[in-house]
Amino acid sequence: MQRMLTSNQLTALGEAVGHSQLFTDPEALQHYGTDWSRQFQPAPSAVVKPKTMEAVQQLVLFANRERLPLVPSGGRTGLSAGAVAAHGEVVVSMEQMNQIHDFNPIDRTVTCGPGLITAQLQQFADEKQLFYPVDFASSGSSQIGGNIATNAGGIKVLRYGLTRDWITGLKVVTGTGERLDLNKGLIKNATGYDLRHLFIGSEGTLGIIVEATVKLTCKPGRQEVLVVGVPAFDDLMHVLQMFQAELTLSAFEFFSEEALQHVLAASTLKRPFEARAPFYALIEFEHTSDHTLNQVMACFQKGLDQGWLLDGVISQSDTQAATLWQLRENISETISHFTPYKNDLSVKVSQVPDFLAEVQKQIHRLYPNYPIIWFGHIGDGNVHLNILKPENVDSTEFFQQCHMASQEVFAVVEQFGGSISAEHGVGMIKKPYLHYSRSPGEIAAMRAVKAVFDPNNIMNPGKLF
Amino acid sequence: MKILVAVKRVLDYNVKARVKADKSGVDLSNVKMSMNPFDEIAVEEALRIKEAGKADEVVVVSIGVSQCQETIRTALAMGADRGILVETDQEIEPLAVAKILKAVAEKESPQLAILGKQAIDDDSNVTGQMLAALMDCAQATFASKVEVGDGKVDVTREIDGGLQTLSLSLPAVITTDLRLNEPRYAKLPNIMKAKKKPLDVIPVADLGVDIAPRLKTLKVEEPPERSAGVMVESVAELVDKLKNEAKVI
Repeated sequence: MQRMLTSNQLTALGEAVGHSQLFTDPEALQHYGTDWSRQFQPAPSAVVKPKTMEAVQQLVLFANRERLPLVPSGGRTGLSAGAVAAHGEVVVSMEQMNQIHDFNPIDRTVTCGPGLITAQLQQFADEKQLFYPVDFASSGSSQIGGNIATNAGGIKVLRYGLTRDWITGLKVVTGTGERLDLNKGLIKNATGYDLRHLFIGSEGTLGIIVEATVKLTCKPGRQEVLVVGVPAFDDLMHVLQMFQAELTLSAFEFFSEEALQHVLAASTLKRPFEARAPFYALIEFEHTSDHTLNQVMACFQKGLDQGWLLDGVISQSDTQAATLWQLRENISETISHFTPYKNDLSVKVSQVPDFLAEVQKQIHRLYPNYPIIWFGHIGDGNVHLNILKPENVDSTEFFQQCHMASQEVFAVVEQFGGSISAEHGVGMIKKPYLHYSRSPGEIAAMRAVKAVFDPNNIMNPGKLF
Repeated sequence: MKILVAVKRVLDYNVKARVKADKSGVDLSNVKMSMNPFDEIAVEEALRIKEAGKADEVVVVSIGVSQCQETIRTALAMGADRGILVETDQEIEPLAVAKILKAVAEKESPQLAILGKQAIDDDSNVTGQMLAALMDCAQATFASKVEVGDGKVDVTREIDGGLQTLSLSLPAVITTDLRLNEPRYAKLPNIMKAKKKPLDVIPVADLGVDIAPRLKTLKVEEPPERSAGVMVESVAELVDKLKNEAKVI
């Protein structure tokens, strides 16, 4: 599949972006050609790192003339191979366009290049006594452009929503090389189709984001963390409803006793309390007044009385809050050596218990001995399904079987009207399963939209659909 | 046996300390305050001794502003029996702290006093030692293991190059090191119970202790900022920089 660029093409690429910004050495091709998914061999034909909007525009115009496929590239922390260049594409790394161009304290917006690292944006907001709330494990390497292209979610969605909710303006170079200024940072703008939102979550298939205007908000107050034990999955819903009615929640996470056992075995962390519960909920809330703790206590007492809760602890310091968070955040890492088969699924919050029961039933019907680990952001209907590989099963066989199980799992997702990718995008990995979440009519409409912005199909071809 | 545990309300370990604009101290307005981590370990150890049936009562004492009651309540939620706040708005230096604790100990007559080895705000690491001297009793600092026997306590201490075990006759003062134990979380049912536990507030003047400051803070400054890292292009460049710029190899 290796596509070779002619020397004329290479020269023209160099002219478009600057010769020093063109790379063809094997290390660069390997490094910039892949993301965190590791399922496809990277094989880009070149890597370019444009420094200006004009350079991006020249590049796209040239790629159109030559029909050269482009893969826009951010921090490449995705898990669905959306930023992988496996077929001789030219990778367009936006990492040089990482400047903050403007901060407006009245609008409370930051205008920046797409290559700005998420954590740097968070830090900048902090220095201005403001807050950028979209946050996730990879915020130290992911870039704002990639966050926008994948509509990244993360750990505070419950309170603050997705990346989509924080973008007030986008400058893009479409697949035809045209530059569009979308929504211009406005809050209210009732003038027809909001094209900004088409680019958010488009996974680089419509064009390249060259500048973003991001909204900031007030810093949250003191956060406290509660971990409670819950006797049955259905009770988690009651617990969620109860606490949500009383408190300002920023996270409502859950994990199973099995997940906790893996975390405890692999670390020096200790159980939150001695009693074992089938499920645990981690609840983060804002300490808004002296009354807050009383509200927590009243909820807890009600939960005990109703039998929805078994026991619970509350952080007494930020250090304890961070340690309690580790019980949830360390799960992914501690089960990684079991080579888990992962799926990132979502349904409506109210349907999570029935959905989980049905998925579990299907997997156990096929493979009764495969351990399943559940955890996730249950407050927003997002659950992570992990099937662990038993030691005596060969990994090729295991993944083949999981692949079979996936079809069953996705059929359940379809039945519940859920999503086969809650926050990891589609890329190449979920592409074969898109039809479980999107109807033929929807997919046809998406293709038609792509044809408008990218008629020659040079923008991240082979991804999404 | 009764155990007295001293707890201090300090800037939370996870909060970045900011210096006040006039450089007179650390800005404590609107920041999270928590129990000094070494004191949490002291509370935990006292509770474990009690749970092992070797003590009957754990009394927690704190010195400072009214909000220190929250810190005491945390200790009560962990399982301590009762709390005492010696209330003052003044900044209390370690010697005065030791004198106040001695006055409380005279009233309470504990067999054992357990303190954190230091507070993470001023890092003085002197209060336990001064308290033992004032009380004229045995002391074991930096405890990593505590075993209460009959009329005595064996304490393993972390020292340079190894461990040292001391056997102290009671009454005694112990200060805790990080590896002594891992403090428990406060369980919600226990937080509810803690609200009903006795907490006496004593104005510092009632103890008749001289708390006049001996030290004067001239200036508090942030540590110099570390310069940003640089990316090197090759191993050769790295070696060159280590040799000629950093001069470490």
